Amino acid sequence: MSGTTPGGWLLVLALALPVGGMLLAFALGGRTAERIALGVLGLGTVLAGMIAAEVYAAGAPLAYRLGGWAPPLGLRLQADGLAAAMLLTAALVLLAVALFGRAAQATPPGVQEARAPFTFWTFLLALAASLAAAFLGGDLFNLFVALEMLTFAALSLACLDGRPSQFRSELRYLFFALIGSVLYLLGTALLYGAHGTLDIALLAERAGADLPTLLAAALMTAGLLAKMALFPLHLWLPPAHAGAPPAASALLSGLVVKAAFVLLLRLWIWVLPPVPAGAGAPLLAGLGAAAILVGSLIALRQERLKLLVAYSTVAQIGYLFLMLPLVLAGDPEAAARAWLGGILQAASHAFAKAAMFLSAGLVAGALGHDRVAELGGAGRAMPMAVIAFGLAGLSLMGIPPSGGFTAKWLLLTAALGTGQWWWAAVILGGGLLTGGYVYRVLAGSLTAPPAAAPRPEPPAQGPERVALALALVSVALGLVPLASFGLVQIGRPILGGAP
Amino acid sequence: MSAVLPYSIAAAALVALGLFGLVVQAAVLRKILAFNLLGGGVFLLFGVVARRGAGAGATADPVPQAIVITGLVVAFAATALAVVLALRMHQITGAATIAEAAEDGFPDK
Amino acid sequence: MTGAQALLVAAIAAPVLLLAACLWDGARRRMPGLLWLAPLPGLAAALLAADTTPLVLDAARLRFTLALDAPSALLLGAAALLWSAAGAYASRYMGRGPGAERFALWWLITLSGSLGVFVAGDLASFYLAFAAVSLAAFGLIVQDGTPRARRAGEVTLLLAVMGEICLLLAFALLAEAVQGPSLAIADAVAALPGSPARGLAVGLLVAGFGLKAGLVPLHVWLPLAHPAAPMPASAVLSGAIVKAGIIGLLRFLPADGALSDWGGILAGIGLLTAFWGVGCGIVQANPKTVLAYSTVSQMGVTVAALGMGMAMAAPGTGMAVAFYATHHVLAKGALFLAVGLAAGSGGWRRWLVLLPALILALGFGGLPGTGGALAKAAVKPQLGEGLVGLLAGLSAAGSTLLMLHFMRRLIALEAGGTADRPARGLLLPWLGLAAAALLLPWALYGAAGLGDPWEALGKDPVAALWPVLLGAALAAGLARQDRWLGAVPEGDLLLLTGKARRLGAACGAVAVRAEALLRAWPIAGLALMALLLALFGVMLAAAA
Repeated sequence: MSGTTPGGWLLVLALALPVGGMLLAFALGGRTAERIALGVLGLGTVLAGMIAAEVYAAGAPLAYRLGGWAPPLGLRLQADGLAAAMLLTAALVLLAVALFGRAAQATPPGVQEARAPFTFWTFLLALAASLAAAFLGGDLFNLFVALEMLTFAALSLACLDGRPSQFRSELRYLFFALIGSVLYLLGTALLYGAHGTLDIALLAERAGADLPTLLAAALMTAGLLAKMALFPLHLWLPPAHAGAPPAASALLSGLVVKAAFVLLLRLWIWVLPPVPAGAGAPLLAGLGAAAILVGSLIALRQERLKLLVAYSTVAQIGYLFLMLPLVLAGDPEAAARAWLGGILQAASHAFAKAAMFLSAGLVAGALGHDRVAELGGAGRAMPMAVIAFGLAGLSLMGIPPSGGFTAKWLLLTAALGTGQWWWAAVILGGGLLTGGYVYRVLAGSLTAPPAAAPRPEPPAQGPERVALALALVSVALGLVPLASFGLVQIGRPILGGAP
Repeated sequence: MSAVLPYSIAAAALVALGLFGLVVQAAVLRKILAFNLLGGGVFLLFGVVARRGAGAGATADPVPQAIVITGLVVAFAATALAVVLALRMHQITGAATIAEAAEDGFPDK
Repeated sequence: MTGAQALLVAAIAAPVLLLAACLWDGARRRMPGLLWLAPLPGLAAALLAADTTPLVLDAARLRFTLALDAPSALLLGAAALLWSAAGAYASRYMGRGPGAERFALWWLITLSGSLGVFVAGDLASFYLAFAAVSLAAFGLIVQDGTPRARRAGEVTLLLAVMGEICLLLAFALLAEAVQGPSLAIADAVAALPGSPARGLAVGLLVAGFGLKAGLVPLHVWLPLAHPAAPMPASAVLSGAIVKAGIIGLLRFLPADGALSDWGGILAGIGLLTAFWGVGCGIVQANPKTVLAYSTVSQMGVTVAALGMGMAMAAPGTGMAVAFYATHHVLAKGALFLAVGLAAGSGGWRRWLVLLPALILALGFGGLPGTGGALAKAAVKPQLGEGLVGLLAGLSAAGSTLLMLHFMRRLIALEAGGTADRPARGLLLPWLGLAAAALLLPWALYGAAGLGDPWEALGKDPVAALWPVLLGAALAAGLARQDRWLGAVPEGDLLLLTGKARRLGAACGAVAVRAEALLRAWPIAGLALMALLLALFGVMLAAAA
């Protein structure tokens, strides 16, 4: 049980900065909120970079004991490789969305304070705070609170426009997420009753393959899956993500579902003993495979651009689950590859999907609709947005050189290395279907506009550049030499001995 | 042990009732109530856990109680958010359920 | 890094840098006129850097390798020459304007991939280059924006992505077979014969590369795409880009007898392709389509030679096959340029197009004295004996027939008025490339270690001549049979995909309905409970 490590204060700062910023923004309001949010998110990116560098340099996780109390009574913040990588990803995407929002969510001139921009900037900071809490928390109940805060913040951002259809889809989202929360909480009650602690590191030592642990794991996993919208629990995701304003969609699809995934990894890789985890993992990966195939197929047949992108999220979430049986297969080399592949998939999808939603929002805003069949002329009016969509699509498909390609290549070789070739077939088939729906959008937007159509208003350059930058980051992840990703392996329990 | 049994059974019953309501009931208000029943069941279970910790030798286990208090706050916030959303939805659309397919009303921007 | 290694880097870097320069408006506007420069470092590398020590960058982590063996150098040189000539042709042919600038962008991406496959020395960069040349070709094909071009582009893209998937899986299997972390192609090829998944890996490689090279039945994109593209793009598609498949087969399938079982299969596929191309080609009306089918047929012969070399473990197979393909790069590229010229020239100048075209065309059948005859002589050790020798002779006769048909269709193109003179910017690349196709094989034959060209031609004049005569006789016989024209649509086998498409659409509709059902609230809630119980049950069963 490690105490506070040097550099542990960084973790407190990463959490306190957005919370403080949010409170300050709420108190000062108006245009100041925007300035505070931009400043805090910029600083947050620097901080996330420092945490990642610190973890990488130390080769060991950073930890901080709140108030000096040791678990099981005290609470622990900790940043291992997984947390540091996700924190950095989240910080970059948040910053990009904030820059994007400077145009779309600006307080109108001549007004002291407007409802939508004020809500946007305040809740953006709330989202940043809860993401940091979800990545850095070391205690399962703390993580529950972080996840709830995340849901509330995301929900408020999603129904920012106040359109009638938004309320219904966001209520569906809220209720399904609440079922998930309660199941998760029920699991923590059982775990605490059985082991007297909710600290992840302590649980890893104490939990065995006993009845309460397994029931708790099943409950918590089901709850997290409901929050992640893994097929067939995805009912709420497409309308909620597609109906939200572009900036919110980017955050919901890119980051919010990933927070629940980090929790799932904590539970499955850290807490659960390898034997029951290894037995349950193929079930989850099977659902992931179904998500990839069905989600992509449905995306291929969508008539609305934003729904298409949302279904693409349903499919891409599936890839994350393929890493579980590969990591738990007991082959250390394949496990390391699959682990890196899964996290790289989470990161590159975060950038690519944010870029996709932002550019889809720009296209829909300029054309006045988002019908896939009538995108003609979009390529001419806003080439940067269409290129961003295309590059992000390449990353999702897994065309080299892109982060998505590296991620899928790692998962592919890990699948072949552990003899589980069927996951390889799913990865490749999903890539083909992804290519199909990306092509539909690109081909549509590159055709000439219909003669009668009014010329679309070209959007401001700034937001287009942000979308393009996100897409480029997602592609550039594939150009980084693999060995540089040693960061994400830091602090991962090595499960060599699964019989 | 037998002292906690009735509470455990009550907790299980509340959870079952709440889950049933959340899954089956279409009306938003009933869903909100069901969620609170469900939450109540879980908090009761935490109480049982605290009591068992006390029975095992400690004077009392404060951690589950702290968890229950925090959980209550979260559940209260969730309820408030759901009620606000449901109210706004009812005011704007007149609907009181979320049963229909949600994407039929996708507006053009 | 030695000078030769620097040339290898420059071969890829030149098009990439030009591409990067397009970020500036001024450079982008001038780019169509600069296309001919981009492949020149590649040409220099082919001349000066063959068989140099492989360049390994950042050996500990990145393992990025560039290498150029002799067969690759031969093909790299020819491809660079064609790209340069076609680039010069394109700058005149495409004119100026946004369309030409877009064309130049796609051209440079495709070019970097096309040259990259010859010099890439590790699996990752080979795959990257292969993806670039396969996918970016889409942009060249749909340049005209017609529905026909778009359909051709879509079919190409779909098949290209499927080919990529085959290769990705094959490469993953290869990487798995190699002991240790190396990704070098040489190590992968060495490990391939002993790999547990040998059959699957080789099958996937053949499918992925065969698709690019146009092997039946994966050739359907080729006769659609090559005629639909603008003229210079067709030239590089048919001349250089299909060679990405050939070089892949050459570099990944060792011809040392380790895969002799696959050699026979490959030879069979190759010969089938050779005749298939002739059969479908002679009923085409569009001269570009005829040329595309001729490419299919010629790639069949190339692969048949490789397959026989693998089966017999014949030494020097790689060089011989590369030589055969090299001739095809230059001659086929030149003929496509000729099609673009024939329509615009009249009077005596028309013969500046038709006469060299006739010589090149007959070269594909092996007319003695042409570069094509030398190409046939080069693969004689592989395709000269017994039944295979007879079949190869018959396919050469078929090629003569097909190319004479092409000449008839070329002449049938409406001639310009007597005063119409072809633009010099189009004429010079064509004449230069035609001369290269005729003369370079003579210069390269000895340099490639295949022996003395004069001796090779003098050895068995009858065997070299009868296919030409037979083909000419058949052509004379068929000369008036125009009623067969158009009997087979472009992309022959694509006719059969209609049913598959309907089936796919039906499956999609079923999936949409099923998914809508799953999204109903009570069903999703029940699914959550069922999932919870299933997880608990599975874990409990494992723990018990």
